[in-house]
Amino acid sequence: MDLRHRNNVSVMGNGSSTLVFSHGFGCNQAMWNSLAPHFLQRFRVVLYDLVGAGLSDLGAYDKARYSTLEGYAHDLNELIDAYAEGPVVLVGHSVSAMIGALADRFAPGRVAAHVMIGPSPRYIDTQSYVGGFKRDDIEDLLDTLDSNYLGWSSSMAPVIMGAPGQPELSSELTESFCRTEPDIAKQFARVTFLSDNRADVIGLTTPVLILQSSDDLIAPVAVGEYLHTVLPNSSYQLVDNIGHCPHMSAPQACAAAMDRFLAPWAVANAG
Amino acid sequence: MPAESLFDSAACALAVAREDGTIVHTNQRLSDWLGLSAVELHGQRFQDLLTMGGRIFYQTHLAPMLRMHGSVTEVKLDIRHRDGHKVTVLLNANQRQLADGVVYDLALFGTTDRDKYERELLNARKLAEALLQEKTATERALHQAQAELSEAYAIAQQRALFAEQMVAIVSHDLKNPLTAIRMASDFLRRGEHTPKEHQLLGHIGQSSERAHRMIADLLDFTQARVGQGITIRAQPVDLHSVIDRAVDELRVAFPRATLVHHAQGHGDACLDADRVQQIIGNLVANSVAYGDLQQPITIASRLGNDGSEISVHNYGAAIPEALLAGLFEPMTRGAHQGSDVRSVGLGLYIVRELARVHGGDVAVNSCATQGTTFSVKFQAGTPRPA
Repeated sequence: MDLRHRNNVSVMGNGSSTLVFSHGFGCNQAMWNSLAPHFLQRFRVVLYDLVGAGLSDLGAYDKARYSTLEGYAHDLNELIDAYAEGPVVLVGHSVSAMIGALADRFAPGRVAAHVMIGPSPRYIDTQSYVGGFKRDDIEDLLDTLDSNYLGWSSSMAPVIMGAPGQPELSSELTESFCRTEPDIAKQFARVTFLSDNRADVIGLTTPVLILQSSDDLIAPVAVGEYLHTVLPNSSYQLVDNIGHCPHMSAPQACAAAMDRFLAPWAVANAG
Repeated sequence: MPAESLFDSAACALAVAREDGTIVHTNQRLSDWLGLSAVELHGQRFQDLLTMGGRIFYQTHLAPMLRMHGSVTEVKLDIRHRDGHKVTVLLNANQRQLADGVVYDLALFGTTDRDKYERELLNARKLAEALLQEKTATERALHQAQAELSEAYAIAQQRALFAEQMVAIVSHDLKNPLTAIRMASDFLRRGEHTPKEHQLLGHIGQSSERAHRMIADLLDFTQARVGQGITIRAQPVDLHSVIDRAVDELRVAFPRATLVHHAQGHGDACLDADRVQQIIGNLVANSVAYGDLQQPITIASRLGNDGSEISVHNYGAAIPEALLAGLFEPMTRGAHQGSDVRSVGLGLYIVRELARVHGGDVAVNSCATQGTTFSVKFQAGTPRPA
């Protein structure tokens, strides 16, 4: 299988360790444009689009494989095997933080560390757990996605599916930013917001940096604090930011926190 | 008109928000739509006015897009009125750089009626998709059923073939011991016996004759089904006298029946005499089994320019309609039958096969008043080679 085509992989930068950036629900790898360049001098950097998002191969979207986050985690491990060199640090936004945790569980020892930006192991409240959402809220989101399907037309698809590896790639990526094929968007929304990955993160011993926005509807502070307590080797960094995408709206603060955390792996290649 | 009143009375709701969504300026239209005064709106975040689904959508889609492109267009959102009801709007937003930072100019267009229409479209699409899925599932089930059916059919055919082959082998193998029994009983009958012994030997003889006829039928049947077909040796014969002889023998075999022979026309027919005798034998046995024995059974032989014909007629109940269609198929038997004529139901099937191999065919005519007639027509000239 051609992974580069499937996941629209971009490899750049130079270093003896590899940072793999994995975007969250709704967008594509272009969301790393303000953060990833910061690391190119010290790390090998791998960016990719989740299958079904961005300029990934929509033909590779298999409803059964991507009916849980596990399918995405297996994809991520395949990408690590194919493109990572040296120690691997996964940088996952939102749902991708959990995809990274699953990938770690599936191949213990392969991932050296995680940077989790706005992570949440479960979005829906239970009696003893605050995720921030009720089941009805997720149905309302699906309804909003439905309402905005009309902004998607088949004439848009060719532009978005595009041809990876072309020079105009980055402009296509920003143009198609946050536009997803409707059926895929709905399934991914369900898979994301109805998932419960608490059992996967509890006791995970890999070092983790939790980057928590001070005001985030999707991943509230209480959730970040919960993760800090259940992840034994985690560092917790509160970032002064409103919204769910601190790597876009507060990239300097994120980069600074990551620099401190990544110091042990930040060595440029001698060559 | 002053710009301020133009702003307030615009045909759409307008607002200015800071980068984090905090509302700094609104027009009167927005206040009217939401039942909130400008004072109440200012300081709130725009995203907090949305329904929960809209807020998630804002965080996962709109905010990143605004940051990436500096604008969004035609995004449909539901905003909560003070009293709780939803106001459906289309949002356009543009980024504007000010001296002290970035603001977003928001324009909201009421779209309640269009939203209803679009929801109907969406529902129609969902329905169409569901129907398509149902159709696909039904087709898949149908395909599977067809596959299972043809597999079951193949298995049934194999079993039928196996059964017919077994009948062929068994009936062939039964022939030799039966012949030994017949020869031995013939031999024994020549000596002196008590009346009781004589009666018993008679039973042995009759029973083995019957068994012999059944086996002959079975062999003909298997020959027709799984072998090369029934073979005949046709030659010019005097049809009337062949039938006459056959009827004489049948009178001995069926003493309770009255058999009458009518001959019509003159000349020879090119037939296998033994097989013609077999045809008459099977048809008369059938009449004896199912006909009214108080009245005569009539056997007719006719010779003409267009071929020859033999028929057997009996009175009695008509053959039921339901039986007629499959009357000449193997294993077909009538409802009533005497134990002395019990067979495996091959008689009429063999008659038809014999008629066909002579280049002819058999027909039946049955009604309650006229009785039942089986007619076998043979074509003039040479029968088709076996």
